[in-house]
Amino acid sequence: MSSFKPHNNRAWLGVLPVLLIVAFSAVIPLMTVVNYSVQDILDFNTRFFVGLEWYRETLNDPRFTEAFLRQLGFSATVLAVEIPLGLAVAKGISKNSRYTPLILILLAIPLLIPWNVVGTIWQIFARPDIGLLGVGVNVLGISYNYTAEPLHAWLTLIAMDVWHWTSLVALLAFAGLTAIPNAFYQAAELDGASKWQQFRYVELPRLRGVLIIAVLLRLMDSFMIYTEPFVLTGGGPGNTTTFLSQYLATMAVGQFDLGPAAAFSVIYFLFILLFCWLFYASINREQNMLSSEGRR
Amino acid sequence: MASISLEDLCFRYEGAAQDTLTGLNLTVADGEAHALLGASGAGKTTLLNLLSGLLTPTGGRILFDGEDVSALPGRARSVAQVFQFPVLYESLSVADNLAFPLRVKKASRQLIAERIDVVCEELDINHLRHAKPRTLSLFEKQLVAVGKALVRPEVTLVLLDEPLTAVEPRIKWRLRQSLKRVQADLGVTMIYVTHDQTEALTFADRVSVLTTEGILQTDTPEVIYQSPSHEFVGHFVGSPGMNFVPSEALGVGGAERVGFRAEWATLDPQATLRGRVLRERVQGTRLGQRYGLLTIDTAHGPLTMRGALPHVANGPDSSVRSLVGSEMGLRVHRYVAFSQQRKVAEGELV
Repeated sequence: MSSFKPHNNRAWLGVLPVLLIVAFSAVIPLMTVVNYSVQDILDFNTRFFVGLEWYRETLNDPRFTEAFLRQLGFSATVLAVEIPLGLAVAKGISKNSRYTPLILILLAIPLLIPWNVVGTIWQIFARPDIGLLGVGVNVLGISYNYTAEPLHAWLTLIAMDVWHWTSLVALLAFAGLTAIPNAFYQAAELDGASKWQQFRYVELPRLRGVLIIAVLLRLMDSFMIYTEPFVLTGGGPGNTTTFLSQYLATMAVGQFDLGPAAAFSVIYFLFILLFCWLFYASINREQNMLSSEGRR
Repeated sequence: MASISLEDLCFRYEGAAQDTLTGLNLTVADGEAHALLGASGAGKTTLLNLLSGLLTPTGGRILFDGEDVSALPGRARSVAQVFQFPVLYESLSVADNLAFPLRVKKASRQLIAERIDVVCEELDINHLRHAKPRTLSLFEKQLVAVGKALVRPEVTLVLLDEPLTAVEPRIKWRLRQSLKRVQADLGVTMIYVTHDQTEALTFADRVSVLTTEGILQTDTPEVIYQSPSHEFVGHFVGSPGMNFVPSEALGVGGAERVGFRAEWATLDPQATLRGRVLRERVQGTRLGQRYGLLTIDTAHGPLTMRGALPHVANGPDSSVRSLVGSEMGLRVHRYVAFSQQRKVAEGELV
């Protein structure tokens, strides 16, 4: 009679490989961190359960708050520059010129460079003693030294990130722009719309989807930034360019404070998860809007 | 509103070996609904873009009310266009979409409100005013797009580029009716570009048949159908198209070929044009008549007759029986005679 059973429970075995992969790649490492975050580890044989003590400590740590605010400031600045600049660049690319493919490839180059190489390039480029940028700016009579001046360090970091990632926004926006049918431009032209109105009422609404993707990708990425500032400024001068990931690395690897570092990691992870969720939710909303448009 | 004239209009795309349009002449009267009917590749879109100012003619002139606008850009011509698919400002509500062309021109608040009222009333879209385009059906969107084209009081010409393409077949006729009514009510000059003869013949006051050779004929739908001035027009217009036979078959002098529509002929064993049925292809029955193709071997070569096959098919036993091998005669009541594909005479031949 077993053949009449509605379910065959052995089918669950088919899911096992996936469960194992996810367990080893994500769940187990993450749970280890959660486990560490509630213990005080003196050495590998001596540990005490401390509850949420490390979380309390991390959230009350002024250096965490500072790093967090710095991080927010960095992400906000970078977004404020890269999104409009990327849009402007995309608008500037001719849609059907012979050189368009070449321009797109050139634009993509910064995206293809390993991140620590980007950091190294700028570290050398901006050096006030031998770097082209550093020396050049000083020759113009502006005293510039990113290793000593916090403001200069910040500007250099932002310039580096803009150089590294504006292309991504530009390429996304360009793809969005090329998807707009010509009729929309013709109609706007016949309506007498100015270039600005054309941008505001034809292009921008149609770029909504790609811009949401661009903003959230850049927000998540810049929030996790580690390699480039580590190579360029090492978090200095002082702590002025120490962002969350760098502070975390100092705690975990430098000072070996495993418990607090684990608590920190969990909090950090929750923020990234929040951004991911925002990302997912807004893309979903966009798709629902599109599909409801198609259905009617 | 205005009358439109094309004088020896020519256009050649940059780098192209020959003109896309050559020596086009056409006059569209003020308030006329004019259809440009042509197969794809005939230059319909090019002509449309020339009228809307997107392209500049490489020869000849475009006159609006006698004024040469050939060199003016689209925005300076007071032309509006409705496209194959609805083109609206997606972030704006229907009312804001309608107001857009007026706001751009800095029209007064009062004028804007008035015009929106007129257009909404005329197109019966009052209930959609506050909706966003994405919540509308294609049909409703296209209505709003038509409204946007009509909203500017100074618009001299409304161009319609196959506006029914995106709309579901079963409500195409509703949109066509709305267009026709609005056109009649507001007296707007409209040029309707299409490859669909039904749309052209039912919408327009006058129809121009456009081919790569130029405009073959411009006239009312009735004349285009009844009295094509060119064999191509006879072929292209009407479903099925005209039947053609050598002129001597019907004893018509001075012509090479004679064209007649299916309904201008009856099958009659006593008729002059006699032959043996070689093939028949029945495509279905309509109103009790067999409909399709009938190839008759006559003294003047095989003649393929398109259309309803009256009388015989509708005979006393009324059942569908094959005609192949039987002797047939064709009595043509009416014909159009062509020489070198151009019309030379029209006559009756009962």
